[in-house]
Amino acid sequence: MNKKLILLAVFAVMIVSVVLYASSYYSQLMQMQEHRINVSGPAPVNLTNGSPVLGSPNAPITIVEFGDYQCEMCYHWYHNTRADIIDNYIDTEKANLVFMDLPGLGRDSFTAAQATYCAEDQGKYWEYHETLYNFQEAVDNGWASKDRLASFAFNLDMDVDEFNDCMDTAKYAKRIKANFDEGVRNGAQGTPMFLIISPDGAVKKIGGAQPYSVFSQVIDPML
Amino acid sequence: MFSSTAYTILAVVIFFVMLIPLLILSEFIFVEPFFTFHIPYGQGFGFVLILAVCVMSAIVIPMNIYRIKILQKSTSKIGTSIFGSIIGASAGICSCGPIGFALISTFGAAAGTATAFLSNYEIPLRLGSVGLLCLVYYTTTKSISSECKIN
Repeated sequence: MNKKLILLAVFAVMIVSVVLYASSYYSQLMQMQEHRINVSGPAPVNLTNGSPVLGSPNAPITIVEFGDYQCEMCYHWYHNTRADIIDNYIDTEKANLVFMDLPGLGRDSFTAAQATYCAEDQGKYWEYHETLYNFQEAVDNGWASKDRLASFAFNLDMDVDEFNDCMDTAKYAKRIKANFDEGVRNGAQGTPMFLIISPDGAVKKIGGAQPYSVFSQVIDPML
Repeated sequence: MFSSTAYTILAVVIFFVMLIPLLILSEFIFVEPFFTFHIPYGQGFGFVLILAVCVMSAIVIPMNIYRIKILQKSTSKIGTSIFGSIIGASAGICSCGPIGFALISTFGAAAGTATAFLSNYEIPLRLGSVGLLCLVYYTTTKSISSECKIN
């Protein structure tokens, strides 16, 4: 009898925990939404440590993506949604895109992020970024090991010695840490997370690998 | 057993209490900035497995509660079914979402290793969970039908 009661209690606690977690998560989201509605004036997001701007720097809208190169959801967004954003907003100069690193999934997330800035030194940031999302595999299985990152650089016709020096000296470690802190400051609770900054500086958040229709519903009224 | 309203309600409650949070945490449902339901290309199988885990849990757990309550049988099968449900529910949900982020921020590398394992083996873990729940369903059905047989 006691055993039955204990098992039922454990199950009840499990269900209650899930419901409580889901409701607190939802209320947190709602609070953040209210906070954002009140945001006005200059953009509160510090983009100085982020990626080079993809698209026109004068575009009225800035899309900020906080991502991790080992994140499966970021991979899905990259392959399912990003191309439509590029075609309809970036190439038409309605918006530009800045990527900021939020590496937390595994030890190779941080080194992969560093590698993109080492690639930027040789003018290949976005090519390297695309390579990482095209070759992504399971977390920390070696696909983003130091040797593999160097081989990506080699395939992009980069100077591999310069790339390796940059990686060995952890030249961009502080920059990535700054990106991470900026994400946390802006309420990031996972990857990918997007901040859409309107011409008047108001910011709207889109959390997760959401479909293109959501982005267009957020961006179009800002234009 | 499911002709009893109480067990049917329990099954429906278990199904939805598991399904909704799992779909939110696995990023099939979004509540912000708009309510959106979306199955990305390449994640259809993952969605089907979540449904399967929830359906099997909703069938097997009330069956075992019935078995314990009415037939006064041992609690081992309900333990197995809850274990199967937990495995199925936890696989994959930690990957990039808020739970994984919170765990890694709080517990560091150890949580990183655990969440990486749950992410990397999401599909096999969910398949294993469905298999375990099917096995419990089979043995429970057999047990109930033999115990309830009128001689």
